[in-house]
Amino acid sequence: MEDARECLGEGVLKHLNVLEVEALALSGRQQLCLQQQSRVDDLRIMVEKLRAHRDMLKARAKTNMSLQHLKAVADQRNVDCNEDDINAGGSSRTAQSQLSFLVARRTQVKDLLQAHHFIGGYDVTETGRGKGVYISIATAFEGLYLETYNLELDLGHVVQICRHNIPPFIPLEKLAQVHLQTDLMDFLSALSDHLNAFAGRRQQVCLIQEVLLGSVEVMESNVLFNTIVLMCKDAGENGRAILCTLEYSDLSRYLPTKVTIESEDQDLPSTPWWKESQSLLLCTPAHKAFQALKMKGLIA
Amino acid sequence: MDDSAKQVLRKIIRRIPSNKLQNILSKWEHLSKKQFRSLEFTQAKWLLCDNLLSLCEENDLSMKHVTELEMIYRIENPAQGSWNVCQLIDPSEEAVTVDSLTFKDSFKAHLKHLISHVSVKMKKHEDNAIWIRIAWGDNFTQPNHLNPTYVVHHLQTPYVFVSGLTAKHKPFLHQALIPSTHYGGLKDVHLSGRCLTALRDLLMRQYKQAFPVKHPRLLQEKSPVPSHPNIETEHAKHTEKRLQMAAEAFGEGILPKLETAVYKLETRFRENGMPGRREEPFRGVVKFSSSNLLESLKNCVSSGMASAPVTPLLSSITQKGRNYFVITDKGPGVSHTQGRKI
Amino acid sequence: MEARVSAITTPRNETAPHRRTKSYGFSRRSLGVELTSHFGCTPGQLTAVRIPTSRGIPKPRNLTEQVDPEHVALIVKKEWKLSYVTPLYQFRHTQLQSYSKQLASFLVAEKQQGVAVEVGQELGFKVVFTAALGLAETEDDAETVLIQIQSKSAFAAEGETAKVVWSGWLSCVSGDVEYLKALPPDFTCLPLFGTSGAESLTTLVMSWFERTFDCYFGPLGINSTNLEWLAALWTGCHSDTNIRYLKLAWTVPAQPPLDVSYTVHPQDAWELWDSIRQESGLRDTVDIEEVNCFIRGLESHFFRHFRIYLSAGTLTKVATSLGSAHKDGKIRIASSDMMTSVLALLTECALLKMPI
Repeated sequence: MEDARECLGEGVLKHLNVLEVEALALSGRQQLCLQQQSRVDDLRIMVEKLRAHRDMLKARAKTNMSLQHLKAVADQRNVDCNEDDINAGGSSRTAQSQLSFLVARRTQVKDLLQAHHFIGGYDVTETGRGKGVYISIATAFEGLYLETYNLELDLGHVVQICRHNIPPFIPLEKLAQVHLQTDLMDFLSALSDHLNAFAGRRQQVCLIQEVLLGSVEVMESNVLFNTIVLMCKDAGENGRAILCTLEYSDLSRYLPTKVTIESEDQDLPSTPWWKESQSLLLCTPAHKAFQALKMKGLIA
Repeated sequence: MDDSAKQVLRKIIRRIPSNKLQNILSKWEHLSKKQFRSLEFTQAKWLLCDNLLSLCEENDLSMKHVTELEMIYRIENPAQGSWNVCQLIDPSEEAVTVDSLTFKDSFKAHLKHLISHVSVKMKKHEDNAIWIRIAWGDNFTQPNHLNPTYVVHHLQTPYVFVSGLTAKHKPFLHQALIPSTHYGGLKDVHLSGRCLTALRDLLMRQYKQAFPVKHPRLLQEKSPVPSHPNIETEHAKHTEKRLQMAAEAFGEGILPKLETAVYKLETRFRENGMPGRREEPFRGVVKFSSSNLLESLKNCVSSGMASAPVTPLLSSITQKGRNYFVITDKGPGVSHTQGRKI
Repeated sequence: MEARVSAITTPRNETAPHRRTKSYGFSRRSLGVELTSHFGCTPGQLTAVRIPTSRGIPKPRNLTEQVDPEHVALIVKKEWKLSYVTPLYQFRHTQLQSYSKQLASFLVAEKQQGVAVEVGQELGFKVVFTAALGLAETEDDAETVLIQIQSKSAFAAEGETAKVVWSGWLSCVSGDVEYLKALPPDFTCLPLFGTSGAESLTTLVMSWFERTFDCYFGPLGINSTNLEWLAALWTGCHSDTNIRYLKLAWTVPAQPPLDVSYTVHPQDAWELWDSIRQESGLRDTVDIEEVNCFIRGLESHFFRHFRIYLSAGTLTKVATSLGSAHKDGKIRIASSDMMTSVLALLTECALLKMPI
């Protein structure tokens, strides 16, 4: 009892105080420990991430290298077939096989695409009633997809076009008269040529207006984009106006069949560089040809 | 400025609604900026007209300039009076290469050769359309500038849109159009309406047509059809099918605004369980009218007020680009429509 | 008129109680009379008027022998907007002259009160009430009354004929005999009211009648059944008078609304109608089934071509060169020959529509 009383007197509270201080210190240490642990975990994750990133970059660099290698190999092959055997050997053997695999895949896909194109390359859907088909013809110019046109064909004993969204200035009726009953594929490819050429011509005019804004002006064009009059200025000091008329008499082509160049200066069209430009315009899409002329400093 | 020009100008100003007057006059390039600013468009029209007339006197303007003003107004507001469509047929080789300048000269020359006292004005619009205004006169009278004929043509296309043409002048117009466009003939396509752009869009196929695709979009993605309270909504699949059929027949999105379609029926009356079976055709005329006919018909199909599939008679409006038909029993099967195949 | 089959048609039965309550508000005195004489003694009379399912074949009647051609000319050719009127209390055909004066002064008084009447320069009105004797078909029909309002212009020269600004008529042709006989003696039944002229004047004339004769006016639409009756009735006349065309018009509730008109060649329409008549045996009555068969036949011929259900819409108008009728209660009678038949049908519509 004495002890207890003694304890009650002063010792117990003191003791409790000591214990409390100790407990606090302990928990503080524990927390610190935990924090350190989680920091270590975080860092580990970071390391993993960075490793993955490194691997990815390594892989990318490797493919890049191998692609360059492939290019070199291909070029070399063109130059000299015999040298190729000597170069291919040793450490690059595995890379070489990977490369051949890639090349094979690429050719396969290309072949498939070509095959699709050979069999028509059109999207064909059966109509609900089963008597006809819908065919869609996609148009593209310089790798950019443009409008898609559609046709509904009735495949009875006489093939008939029931519905379509092809503009009236495309000679659909004429093409149908020539090919439709005899060869559907011929008909579709002729139509596709016309549509692609039309889309291409229109796209060239759009590109001129976009890319060569302020330099080449579209003075005149029509719905079929088969006569286009463009105006540009001679790069010389007096800046003579030059009128360039592009005529497309072959409607299934996106390149002109006739290019006329006129200017205030009557001698200008017969100068050698403008003669050259004229032939450039005959074999290059107009927006590219004019860009080239601008680069050369022929036009302002 | 002579009296007749003054009179015509007054009448033209009277026709133009006050709220459009300022815009129209600003496009008329025969007043100086200062002169234009001096006009007060809040004034009463007759007063404004008097001021305008004195400005015209000042600038020494003539009938030619006055008709230009009318043409500007008409191009801006084509929905006045009815437009009929003709189609050029048998194109020659040159037809694809005609340019607007040669066409203008050739048309004028041909028309003036056919008829004296005719006033022709042409203007190429932004969308490459050539607008032709013809005021007709005859040997004894001056051209009537108050009731001109308007012709709209896109070169290289076979369609000609005509408004305000009398039967008397029709042959002249045809005879001038055919050689100047290098075609072999001109025929009526039986399409008419007030909205010029709608007729053009329909024939040039510039509206959105619906074609089936391999992977149709879900119904919810398309605009829902407002259901009619009196009509029970059927099975969702049927609804989807009906919507697709309605879209395939009449198009998607904003449809060309046609007002009417007329069918002359000359088919046999053969209703089951009905007396009156006979061989002679049962004659009648059916006329559909609406503020937007294609929209109404599409709605009829999609809401079930018309039974699917859409009859070729109705889908022919968009597919053949015409709104007047004569229906007879010729040929086997269902009623046959006369008209272009494509 | 043929004896009416009572229980077949439902609309009347459905609306009868509704109609009774409606009449409380509108026609105090007539209701009072009904309560004592009709309702109390012969309650059966209340629902005596039925939609007929068959009618006598309308025979063209040469009116000019019995009716003053001038009176006929007043009704023919104009388009009339129809209303129904409850029986007029203490209306006397002998008092027409005095009514003319009363209505004229009423109109002037209303105008001075500033009620919106578009009168322009006019100083006053001249009103003419005329009895068009001879239009009545049975002895219970009250004679038709024509009303004309002429405006007196301040600047009109002497002797210049005054301009008729408004005209109207009250009529009863072949009204239901039982109903008419059951009316108390102080009431005159002229249930059909046709007007042509400014709406504001129509309103004033109506309010004068309501005040003077304790009656009530209401709009009279023509339902599709009656439009179909009219179409058949006119088509049947083609053998006597060329109807030139039979035109039916529907409105289909599409978005935007679609109007459909079907104009049938007169001879073909008549042959169809005639063949339906032949089929059901030649009798001197026309059954509603025949009319139905005729219209359904035309509708299904239409459907065979266009696959649009006209039944989803409403029949809005029927017309031939003999006349036209619109569901909103507008009618044009172009030929006097068929006038009595058309008026008889419309009288019937008015009697049915009336809140007793």
